[in-house]
Amino acid sequence: MTLETEVQSLRQVPMFRDVDPARLKLLAFTSERVQFAGGQRFFSQGDPSDTAYVILEGRANVLLNTPGGEIQVAELGSNALVGEMGILSDTPRSATIMAAEPTTALRIDKRVFLELLAQFPQMSLAIMRELAKRLERTNAQLVAQASS
Amino acid sequence: MEKSLFRYIWTHSKRDQMIICAVVLASLPFYFMSLDLPRQIVNQAIQGEAFRDGNATAPLLKLAFDWPEWLGGGKWEIFEGFQVGRVGLLMGLSFVFLFFVIVNGAFKYWINVSKGVLGERMLRRMRFDLFAMVLRFTPNALRTVKSSETATIIKDEVEPIGGFIGDAFITPVFLGTQAITALVFIMVQNAWLGLIALAVIAVQFTIIPRLRRELLRLGKQRQLASRQLAGRIAEVLDGIEVVHVHNAYGWERAEIGHRLFSLFTIRLQIYNRKFFVKTLNNFLAQLTPFFFYAIGGYFALRGTLDIGQLVAVIAAYRELPPPLKELIDWDQQRLDVQVKYDQVTQHFAEERLGPMLEAREAEEADQPLVGSFVGEDIRVAGPHGDLIIEGGAFTVELPSSVALISNGGAAASMLARILARRSLEFSGRIRIGERDLTQLPASVTGRRIAYAGVDPILFPGSIRDNLVYGLRSKPLGRLKEDRQEMDRRIAEALRTGNPVESISDQWVDYERIGAKDENDLDRILLDLLDRVGMGDTIYLFGLAGRIDPERHTSLAERLVEARHRLRKTFQSNGMADLVEPFDPARYNSQATIAENLLFGVPISDEFRGRNLADNAQFRSAIDRAEMTDDFVQMGLQIAETMTEIFEGLPPGHSLFEQFSFIGADELTEFEAILRRRGRGEGSLRREDRTRLLSLPLAYIESRHRLGLLDDAMTGRIVEARGIVHEVLEKAGSGGVEFYDPEGICAAAPLRDNLLFGRVSYQVANARARVAEAVAAVVRELDLQEEVERVGLEYQVGTAGRLLSPQERASINLVRCLVKRPDILVIDGALAPFDEASSQQLIQLLLELFDQQSLFMVLPNDRQAGAFDVQMRFRDGQIITDKTAAPAPRASSPEPDAPQRIAGEVA
Repeated sequence: MTLETEVQSLRQVPMFRDVDPARLKLLAFTSERVQFAGGQRFFSQGDPSDTAYVILEGRANVLLNTPGGEIQVAELGSNALVGEMGILSDTPRSATIMAAEPTTALRIDKRVFLELLAQFPQMSLAIMRELAKRLERTNAQLVAQASS
Repeated sequence: MEKSLFRYIWTHSKRDQMIICAVVLASLPFYFMSLDLPRQIVNQAIQGEAFRDGNATAPLLKLAFDWPEWLGGGKWEIFEGFQVGRVGLLMGLSFVFLFFVIVNGAFKYWINVSKGVLGERMLRRMRFDLFAMVLRFTPNALRTVKSSETATIIKDEVEPIGGFIGDAFITPVFLGTQAITALVFIMVQNAWLGLIALAVIAVQFTIIPRLRRELLRLGKQRQLASRQLAGRIAEVLDGIEVVHVHNAYGWERAEIGHRLFSLFTIRLQIYNRKFFVKTLNNFLAQLTPFFFYAIGGYFALRGTLDIGQLVAVIAAYRELPPPLKELIDWDQQRLDVQVKYDQVTQHFAEERLGPMLEAREAEEADQPLVGSFVGEDIRVAGPHGDLIIEGGAFTVELPSSVALISNGGAAASMLARILARRSLEFSGRIRIGERDLTQLPASVTGRRIAYAGVDPILFPGSIRDNLVYGLRSKPLGRLKEDRQEMDRRIAEALRTGNPVESISDQWVDYERIGAKDENDLDRILLDLLDRVGMGDTIYLFGLAGRIDPERHTSLAERLVEARHRLRKTFQSNGMADLVEPFDPARYNSQATIAENLLFGVPISDEFRGRNLADNAQFRSAIDRAEMTDDFVQMGLQIAETMTEIFEGLPPGHSLFEQFSFIGADELTEFEAILRRRGRGEGSLRREDRTRLLSLPLAYIESRHRLGLLDDAMTGRIVEARGIVHEVLEKAGSGGVEFYDPEGICAAAPLRDNLLFGRVSYQVANARARVAEAVAAVVRELDLQEEVERVGLEYQVGTAGRLLSPQERASINLVRCLVKRPDILVIDGALAPFDEASSQQLIQLLLELFDQQSLFMVLPNDRQAGAFDVQMRFRDGQIITDKTAAPAPRASSPEPDAPQRIAGEVA
């Protein structure tokens, strides 16, 4: 797997869909590809947010701490972006991510990511668009819940 | 130091000066002989005067004297000479001439060398004397003395003085004799003309020095101005941060520019004056022949002087100027040097210096500093004349621990400095037992009192050097050194008033601190460092350090064992993929292509980084392996990718430095190379190829992921590795130390020797896990102390700048602790630590100083309860309270045994 295939993976991520290919290449180049064994944690709930991950291969579980122990709330597959909210909002991890099987991910450093956003407005715009879409979806869900 | 330069020179070198003078005088007859011989050769041999009376032979080397008339006359023949023919006489006299040429040359050589050596010895003495005075500067003087100015004085300003010393006495003697001879000759010919010449010379010798006085004043100014310039430059450099913070470049530039302008103005004045004086001097010198021609000619016309005499006088006068001119030059140089010397001695004026440091002080006074410690009527004045302590008194039974609780003013700190003998500016009496604190000799206080202030002063060198600094008061044992070399060194030292001790002697007093030898001392140092909380840092320094297999023999022997053990641990714990080991037969995908090709660590710079691509040996090796084109191709691909993805980032952006193969400033150059190639300009230029070649050398497949390497390529690189080794070994340059799975690579850091591989970039959290495993194996094999001993060799840098403030403070503290002083005074040395650590350190100090005395300045009462005695300062008084029932010193919760963090291993 090379930089090119990583760039292909990044293109599948909705947040990066509109970003210029050369910038995606830079993002991939400045990131690290890391492997997690099954059961190994990407990070735990409450940790400081210093990185985001794009899953390239494998699956990971999203776990939440509850009084009754950790419960799984979602599963992530290839091309999923995880941890980006934490680095954008500068808040601790809101959930634990644990590899469900041997998983390869692209690790995006917070500082580098923010550097790139600051440097390339077009990239920031793409991110904002995605965030706005998410907000709209959430609103729609809230409306749906309220009306039901 | 002597006020007069000449007295200084004469006191310290009269013997040498007289010997050289004697040799100069002894050489004169030979010199005159060689002047006389050409005349003899022409007259006697060539023109044949010796054969005028029809003699077929003439005597050669005949030595005979004519006794003067008043001794009865007659002839004394020492040697009648060889009877030789005309050609024989010519050849004989010519060879005698050659002989004198050689003898004169030999004299000249000896005199020059002796003068030079004499000057160098005096320079060494003077520099050492000045340095000895630097050590004696009083605290008061140190407030105004600038270090860089002092360094300039000792290094530069005394240099011309040293050059002058060889000529100080010899030149005037030599030239003076010559000038007087010529003058006497003129006098004998004609007294009047002689008097005229004398009068002009007298004018020259009175007016010129007078005119030069102004020149000297300017010279003095110039010296001060250039010294201040040096001082100012050093100040700016030392305070460069403030310049950056406040954007004061403009001001500093203008400041230096102004100084350079005034320096230029002074120099301009000097030049104008100097050449005016020179012109006047030349005019006066030419005035004498004018008188000779005019007055002498007039006398000749009148018939009172015969023409032959006049011609002889003028000829003799021609002989006069060179020595006279040189003599005047010498005088100029003398004044110049005297001015310099005066300036130097003023800098080291007596009132700025403390008392002489006695080299050997009485040993019998060296008793432990215990007993009743009594201060009476202590008065300390502040910088503005206000009294900080006014009639303070205290009584403390030593040993005990005393908290000097600050009232927010300077009193506590001031008293601490007085107790540590750092300040003598107080009145009153302080006694320990029967002894007066101020009268204790430096050898006793240096050994029995330690002081740790706010500023941890570290010297460049290793951590160990800094820690044992306080143990080096005098040499205890001689290290074996070459007998002859030692005799020479000591003889020179004695001749120049330098110390005879060698720094390679054993200076560290192991016994005093209860250590058996060097290793034992290291153990004590490490224990103390660990207790002040620096153990982990030292361990990490050790892992990053390089080992010298000769010094750390036991560690070197066991390192390979540890390496194998570590490998087994990795395999048995399923961590085998964390580290990719160096294998001579396999490509290491976690290492750069350069490292894979060299399979070793560069020692010399020409094999490091970009230089490798330019290295002829390396290039010929990869040429032989037929890989150059492949690498250039890879370089092109890297350059293309880099120019594509880094385009648009402003130059100097941190991402460049961190990630790019190409610096921001090089980007355009590589773009140009790519454009040239894109236009199809055929083959690349040689320097382009070299530049491109340097790119893949830094490429790590698993990190950069450009997909440049496939199995076939890695296989070829491993094959090329053999060729590279062969070529480098044949060249014998020794620029690279190769990896050996069963041996130590001294050029690589200790942790690389342990891991013998590279930590994987791909496995999450690999570094921390590897570091833990390394720490476990080091503990298991009991190598921790050995590793930490390597850490003691860590270089602290100028003023310890390579360390953090906490580390500097820790080392400062341990330097005091290892000395085991009777009294330790601490004033602000814990400032860099946070509240919790400083509390722990205070507990530690109280424990360590259970049997000795500890005086500590505390900002408030909070920590004071643990001390035996509390001193408070109020209205200039010292109030001493004894803790009613001092909390048992060990009652503090024992800090947890420091958990070793394993740290980063990369």
